Amino acid sequence: MSNSDAQSSTSDLRYVQYHGSKESTYLPAIRQLISKDLSEPYSIYVYRYFLYQWGHLCYMALDPSGNLIGVVVCKLEHHRSGTFRGYIAMLAVQEAHRGKGIATQLVCMAIDAMAERDADEIVLETEVTNTASLKLYERLGFLRSKRLHRYYLNGNTAFRLVLYLKAGTGMKRPQQLDDSGELPAQYGYSATSFDEIGVRDGHPVLEGSQVP
Amino acid sequence: MHVLRHDGQGLDEAKLVEDTSRLADPTKRYSSNKIESDVVCKFPNGDGNDQPKSAVPCQLPLRAVPKPTINRDVKAWDITEKFTQASLALNTGQLVKDEYFTLFESIGALEIMDPKMDSGFLQPGETLEDDYDALKPLLPEEVIGIMDQLLCYEMAWHQGYPLSQTLFTSVYIDKLLWPDPRSLEEAQFYRGDVKLATEAMHDILRAYCLAIIKCCDFVITKITSRDYFEEEDFCTHTYNRQLLTQVPLDFILHELELAMKFIETDQTSPISAELKYALLARLEFRRALLIALFPDYSASFLDKYWPPVSDTLPRIEATHKFGRPVPGSFSTKLQRRLASTVPPRPVVELEFKDAFEKLVQLCVDCEEAVRYTYLEPSPQEYQSFIWAFASRKPQPLAYARSYLSNFIFSSNNEVFEHLLREDLRSLVFPEDQVLDPVNWTIESPRNPMMPKDKRLQMASLIDEFTNRAIQNYHELWTALCQNRCRMRRMLCHSMLAFDQLQSDAGVLDDDLHALSSDIQQYPLITWVYHHKLRQIEWVVQLGFEQEIYLPDELPSMYYWLSKIAETRKRLLMTLLEFFERRQSKMEKGKKAEIEKAERVKEGKGYIESLLAEASGTKELAEALSSFYTHLAYLKLLPTPPRPFSNPSLRYELRMKPFLTLTPSEVFPFAELTAQLHPYGPYDNPNPKPNLSRILSDSVIWQYMDHAVKSAKEDFAKLKKLGAKAARAEGVKGSWEKGVQGCLLSCVAAGVAIATVKEICKGLGKEGVGGVEGMKKRLRVEIVEAGGDRVGKRYHEWWVVPKVVKL
Ligand SMILES: CC(C)(COP(=O)(O)OP(=O)(O)OC[C@H]1O[C@@H](n2cnc3c(N)ncnc32)[C@H](O)[C@@H]1OP(=O)(O)O)[C@@H](O)C(=O)NCCC(=O)NCCS
Repeated sequence: MSNSDAQSSTSDLRYVQYHGSKESTYLPAIRQLISKDLSEPYSIYVYRYFLYQWGHLCYMALDPSGNLIGVVVCKLEHHRSGTFRGYIAMLAVQEAHRGKGIATQLVCMAIDAMAERDADEIVLETEVTNTASLKLYERLGFLRSKRLHRYYLNGNTAFRLVLYLKAGTGMKRPQQLDDSGELPAQYGYSATSFDEIGVRDGHPVLEGSQVP
Repeated sequence: MHVLRHDGQGLDEAKLVEDTSRLADPTKRYSSNKIESDVVCKFPNGDGNDQPKSAVPCQLPLRAVPKPTINRDVKAWDITEKFTQASLALNTGQLVKDEYFTLFESIGALEIMDPKMDSGFLQPGETLEDDYDALKPLLPEEVIGIMDQLLCYEMAWHQGYPLSQTLFTSVYIDKLLWPDPRSLEEAQFYRGDVKLATEAMHDILRAYCLAIIKCCDFVITKITSRDYFEEEDFCTHTYNRQLLTQVPLDFILHELELAMKFIETDQTSPISAELKYALLARLEFRRALLIALFPDYSASFLDKYWPPVSDTLPRIEATHKFGRPVPGSFSTKLQRRLASTVPPRPVVELEFKDAFEKLVQLCVDCEEAVRYTYLEPSPQEYQSFIWAFASRKPQPLAYARSYLSNFIFSSNNEVFEHLLREDLRSLVFPEDQVLDPVNWTIESPRNPMMPKDKRLQMASLIDEFTNRAIQNYHELWTALCQNRCRMRRMLCHSMLAFDQLQSDAGVLDDDLHALSSDIQQYPLITWVYHHKLRQIEWVVQLGFEQEIYLPDELPSMYYWLSKIAETRKRLLMTLLEFFERRQSKMEKGKKAEIEKAERVKEGKGYIESLLAEASGTKELAEALSSFYTHLAYLKLLPTPPRPFSNPSLRYELRMKPFLTLTPSEVFPFAELTAQLHPYGPYDNPNPKPNLSRILSDSVIWQYMDHAVKSAKEDFAKLKKLGAKAARAEGVKGSWEKGVQGCLLSCVAAGVAIATVKEICKGLGKEGVGGVEGMKKRLRVEIVEAGGDRVGKRYHEWWVVPKVVKL
């Protein structure tokens, strides 16, 4: 439904799905583009972690000479909350090309791809002050579900954004929720939601910290 | 090991092995975080703690140099060659991933030779270690400068940044802490066996630094003793350094006193009086702070700890200008020597002005927290205080919060059980036989065949309930002590726990009813239900405060809030009737009964207060829901296109935390749609009757006006009943401010509604145009929440739009 929403001024761009065979061509450019907006870089393993398993959920915007203009990186797996959860891990567009709908187009393609693979929901985090990003996702249908205090290494706070793709997602429950009436570990204090992993352990956080 | 081939600088893993072999030779000063972390697994004794014994002053020892000789069972092999061979079989970028390679690990991985990740990587000409000489003579101005810089880092740490990016960048602190001093005596700016003569300025700075370190130790002790979230609230990581944990407080105080004495009595050195004054102020401040932070406080002097700290602050502020910074005495290079696997990170710079502000706030907040211990011991008074404290702006620092938590939770379980019973008493058992202390004094009959005394049975039932509920009750209090974001999320969980409790309480209620007919209907369920409903309201209200809801969600979220508040209102009305019945019955009794009636009447004030608040919430939420609905018809609410979503999916997402509640609170989507779309879809309203006609008629606006008016009356009543009835006397000022905020929100809502109504009057008339033209005549501003500052809303929980005529 969405692919046609892309704005026309960017018609000379090609939007392509990543593939492992293209690593040497694109990975350095992806790294460079993403890490520009991070206060700390991710190791190459982080990129490979996503691209190796979910390369098909990574989309790139390329200019006619094949330069990388924008990229979105995602994953999709069963979450312990009981849902089949998509996660947008990274998104960036080259500064000179921002505001033309390129990120919107990339995210739309990623959502379509995850929906096609039967995702229940898609989530991500973004800084509460990242107006462009909030606007982009909220325009597509994401809602804020919670505020995460000092989520990023630079001390900034984040919103968790969520998009439900299927009815009944809110009723899905962890498998372990049993008749003992005990709440699953997720409700405990030491909860380390997978997506929040970075904060808990003092490592760079996905979606990263924007350098002002 | 994740075997990867990586282009560029060669093989990561092979490189690692190579470096490892180099590390085994302690004379080679080459270090990298990655190496440290990985090597530790390979050499059992490399726990990061064993320092070389012969540390030579000024030659920094490497941390955690693994010494294979120590454990003779361990042998090291150089596998570089084998590894290189094996990995040649892989293509560049080819990933052989096993299921144990998680996102966590990928994030934890570091790349050797990447300057941003490899802390051992040296730029051309860069030295590995810092070469600042901690023994070089210092001017008093420089000592002041260093002290104030340390204070800045200390406050940055208090804000949540790790020691590695703050205090641990100080060469002086590093010298004192590493190698780990076996005694205070050993903690010197020079290290080693040879005693060196030091200068007075060094002694003064050392005393100050020792005190800072001890302060950090106390802070960590306090914070870790309570529920907190590492890295989110605070970083307790000390990178394997002992913060003088074993050194008694007195020893440090003694060092400070010696330093002060020296300054006071010194006749020989040419230090000017004002510099002496500045130095003394700082030492005195440290002394007072250290005593205030001491975890083993004396309860009878609690109010005497923080004022002396605050008293020293103006002197520090006034003399800050005398300081001369010594930037060389701080270095990020010191991070290389900390036991850590994270890459080097920038120092967190906090301006003195901001740091000082934080410090003042810390003192004020802690002083405020002490007031908790003087409150009238009632659960409601306590909770009012906790709410007020959590609502302070800026949000109290993690230390201040755990300082308060310490007073709340340090008491034993019995105290909390008592609070829970008091909570029951004030809501559902006013002057009730069920909670009569006598019930707990009755003994079981010797003969188990004999029936138990009813009073004893009641006591057992209440004990059973207390046992069942105490943990949930405790967790609710814990939730209220967290940072605001956490608070909202933990309340979601607490609410579900109360939901479970509610269904369990039914059995006990039945048993109670079998024992007595003169009690509130289903008292325990009622009590739990009230708490649960309140938590639902809080979750939604904190959502408004935290800007969770987008403007076009306001109609539905305020509708939801009004429904919950309405349910709570009904619950409270039955309670109020019960209180009234009991009061009038007791008034007719004997003298003792009449006295009780008086107390029931007083307790009734609390129910009335709750009722006024619930009712005001219901009315104002209803008014706002309706108002925002009409603004949506007028196309004055920004509404994103949302190609991937639809209203029912969003409703499901919003209601997710509440979907499983029993009795079911969430109403069907169709009901919501009907409620919020009285004239059909916003962008395609029913043609008949015409929307312009409807909106130009003042009748529809009257409904909102009426709700606002009712809300105002309710909040006015709440105000009149006062802080005492609300059981918020301990925080009267902030309670009154809160109620005033609600009242002002009503006024603002009334004004906004009137403005729109006025403009809508002309709708459909010539020259005014239809609904489409409203954008040109009116602008609606959603007032932002204040966040950590005092904001523009009258009350953070009431998003009243500002309507501007154009
Ligand atoms: C976020 C980012 C990917 C957006 O890329 P983009 O191609 O410019 O995005 P789009 O053009 O599709 O849409 C962005 C929307 O935000 C708006 N926007 C951009 N900057 C804005 C700002 N400072 N304030 C308000 N709105 C802004 C744009 O106008 C556009 O909305 P519109 O179409 O209604 O006008 C890009 O800004 C970026 O790379 N930022 C750095 C990395 C980052 O923040 N990643 C996201 C982390 S979650």
